[in-house]
Amino acid sequence: MSNLGSLNSKPVHSTDNVVQLDPHVFSHPIRRDILHLCVVHHLDSLRQGSANTKTRGEVRGSGRKVRPQKGSGRARLGDAQSPMLRGGGVAFGPKPRDFSTKLPRKVIEMGMRVALSAKLREHGLGVVKSLNWPGVKTGPLAKRISELGWRRTLFVTGLDEIPERLRRASSNIDKVEVVTAKDLHVYDAVKWPRVVLDLAAVEWLERKLGKKTVVDSF
Amino acid sequence: MTTRVPAKKVHLFNISPAPGSLHHQKRVGRGQGSGYGGTSGRGHNGQKSRSGPGPKPGFEGGQTPITKLIPKRGFHNQNAKEYAAVNLDRLQHWVDQGRLISTPEQPITARELSLSGCVHDVKDGIKILGDGMEFLRGPIHVVSSRASKSAIATIERLGGTIYCRYFNPLALQDCIDGRTDRIAAAPTKRKDIEWYTHWGNRGYLSPQAIKKMPFADDRLKELSREFTTFKSESLKTK
Repeated sequence: MSNLGSLNSKPVHSTDNVVQLDPHVFSHPIRRDILHLCVVHHLDSLRQGSANTKTRGEVRGSGRKVRPQKGSGRARLGDAQSPMLRGGGVAFGPKPRDFSTKLPRKVIEMGMRVALSAKLREHGLGVVKSLNWPGVKTGPLAKRISELGWRRTLFVTGLDEIPERLRRASSNIDKVEVVTAKDLHVYDAVKWPRVVLDLAAVEWLERKLGKKTVVDSF
Repeated sequence: MTTRVPAKKVHLFNISPAPGSLHHQKRVGRGQGSGYGGTSGRGHNGQKSRSGPGPKPGFEGGQTPITKLIPKRGFHNQNAKEYAAVNLDRLQHWVDQGRLISTPEQPITARELSLSGCVHDVKDGIKILGDGMEFLRGPIHVVSSRASKSAIATIERLGGTIYCRYFNPLALQDCIDGRTDRIAAAPTKRKDIEWYTHWGNRGYLSPQAIKKMPFADDRLKELSREFTTFKSESLKTK
């Protein structure tokens, strides 16, 4: 694992280990309400939405009128599957449905900027040169992570896929996860106490979230 | 001396929505305290308090509804065309901003007008109109579905060119998409043929236009010839 790159807010130990971060992305004003929107949107999308009940039409049974309309002295009843009766259908019960919501793309992008800025401000953001771990075995990697004190860390790589060796070595390590910058959610960025990016991820995020310049249509 | 209170760390458990941004759902029939218990905001008895969709929309209790009081009028012309009007002052403004550039070989068409934002909805075609003709300064080169006589006069007075071309819906969409693999169909209706072979309209199939247009290919020349031969023919009387 390469040396931890110095952060903007921390005192610099060596001038070689400095990475410049875009302030629009990493020093954004904190907007907790935007984070709330993004987190709720993400959790909504995770819902399975498979709760199901039978309505009076779906409960097994015939449509025979239980007793005559008049004469019995008791309440009038149609079929035996009515929601009023025991064993009848549910009146307005849950049905499988899609709970996912829509959120404007720009709100999600701002949420990511706020989350990264919050992480940086709380000294929870790190940058490394690359995440190409040389070994394959879990043991050495787990030892190194403990040495650095990087348990409960989310590693974000800016490549298209997670490096295979790192994936195999880290998959069994508890409270450590590796994800691509493409698949990084605002939820993950808030949830994990420590987020370590590699330079490619910094570049990817700055490109995606940086201030957009006005482009001519023609 | 004011000291800044250090902000709390951001966690999943201490982020909340902006105050006033969320509104609780109205849940009726759940007790008096909610304000919507008992009759659940429906009042007492009557058609509106019953379950089901109620009377049909527009029903006025038996009184002749307003949709029936007023008589029907007219007919809908299936062949009517609605052209998106573009005035000369708007074209000049776009040229000044650099959003439109035209040459005789690459004239302004529906595609350029749509992409540059001069026209939002092309409808059945573009018609160039002459409002604000005093603002047009330089030569512009346009190919549109229609053009008004004053617009034609102004454009040509300033050295530009304007030709009117027939576009059916498919050809218009291909023009907007910039698709050149298909051939744009020729007009088939008599009125359209008469219009587009008339030089006064700057129709692209008129003999004068065929001579002048840089994009008059063999097909258009042949079409123009076919559509105008009747003028030299006479009926044989026996």
